[in-house]
Amino acid sequence: MSLFGYLLMLSGWLLTLASLFLLAGVGQRLLFVAAGLAVELLGLGLLTYRYRALQREAR
Amino acid sequence: MSVNLCLMSLLLIPFAAAGLALIQQGLGRSRSAAHSMLCSLCASATAAIVFVLVGSAWMGFAGGAAHRLHLAGRTIDWLGAEPFFAAGIGSSLLAGPYRALVLAYGIFAAGLAALIPINSGSDRWRLSAVAAASALLAAGIFPLFGHWVWGGGWLAQLVPLFGLPGFSDLGGAAGIQVLGGLGALSVAWIVGPRQGKYSEGVAAAIPGHNIVQVLFGCMLALIGWIGLESATSLLFYGAGVGQIALTLVNAMLAASSGCLAAMLTTRLRYRKPDASLSANGWIAGLVAGSAGCARLTCAETILIALVAGTLVTFLVETLELRLLIDDPGGAISVHLGAGLWGMLACSLFASGRAGWVALLLAQLIGAATLLGAIFPLIHISHRLLNRLIPFRVDADGDWQGMDIRELGAGAYPEFVLHADEFTPR
Repeated sequence: MSLFGYLLMLSGWLLTLASLFLLAGVGQRLLFVAAGLAVELLGLGLLTYRYRALQREAR
Repeated sequence: MSVNLCLMSLLLIPFAAAGLALIQQGLGRSRSAAHSMLCSLCASATAAIVFVLVGSAWMGFAGGAAHRLHLAGRTIDWLGAEPFFAAGIGSSLLAGPYRALVLAYGIFAAGLAALIPINSGSDRWRLSAVAAASALLAAGIFPLFGHWVWGGGWLAQLVPLFGLPGFSDLGGAAGIQVLGGLGALSVAWIVGPRQGKYSEGVAAAIPGHNIVQVLFGCMLALIGWIGLESATSLLFYGAGVGQIALTLVNAMLAASSGCLAAMLTTRLRYRKPDASLSANGWIAGLVAGSAGCARLTCAETILIALVAGTLVTFLVETLELRLLIDDPGGAISVHLGAGLWGMLACSLFASGRAGWVALLLAQLIGAATLLGAIFPLIHISHRLLNRLIPFRVDADGDWQGMDIRELGAGAYPEFVLHADEFTPR
């Protein structure tokens, strides 16, 4: 699960980079960068969920 | 650039380290106080040496040698290529002091970034692991992002590369605070909560042992922050004397607003102002205000810091109660939470000025880079390091305290009651 979280975070960053190379308008880029950030937050959420689950198990 | 002003600013930065060290040891337990201060010294020392030996070469400076990547018709500057061991720094002085000043800045900045994670690993992170993690940060992670933002790397070159305004980090909010905050999150996840924190099914309050030192640390940190923000603005953004005066005013306003916001929020929520959260609000204000320190108006700085001070009280509670992250000093909320807010807010508050959407986009790209590239790098390298040098002290050490366990002597030996003190003489 944590590997999937890291991959999601990295994918979000690559989406951000791709928007810089492939798109020209500020609005389009803003949309893609926001989408990239959302994917990164999803990955961070997954890592947080895994940590919480481990802590609950440890109790 | 005024060399004298820059030197003076650089000389103030160690006060920020002293302030943060006092805050984190005061918010920890008394049985780990000496260990916490030694960890801070050790992190700063390791970061300074490793940065000079390795990190300075990769951080480089604007206009210096760099590794470049040719991609889709663009030349991407991604890593510095200066000589290792800061070789040639003496002869470079003939051309001017800029390289030496950037080296001095990097030493202090890497040390500060290395100090932040100690806060979240307080009372259970081993000294050898602190040194190793600091070395890793100063050798690779800090110089990499530092080059991208301040060394003429791709984030600083968004204008010629992609027609966007450059990513703006005038006071180290991203390159030092958010970077350190991400390290703090990674360390808190790896070492886990302190024993007894969640044993009863609910989060137990483990109050800091010396709030006076915490509040004194806040005052020291203000002086250091003024130096940090001024030095960053002078070295990397060509700020003039007027902007440095504005930086000074904004730093004081940011700290004050953050602290008052946290005091008021805790007063409303818990009936009495909470001293440790107010201290966190003070630092959160400084962190959030540092992103646009030399460009924001006084009113904008106050507003940004008020939000940061309020936000931090909620973040501390959310992390502790909902996400089960034991962060004794609130480093994640203060440095990561307020730092990200400050980075974005300095572009949001530029609304009304031309091109603020493009500025927001540049700041979002910086935030995405920190979360999507730098955090996985930090966390994976910490996890690998944890296999070589275990981060967490064993269960006995957790109860015994880090002072006795790792240093062999407590910070406050007079607090211990000895039986012979009660025998009649």
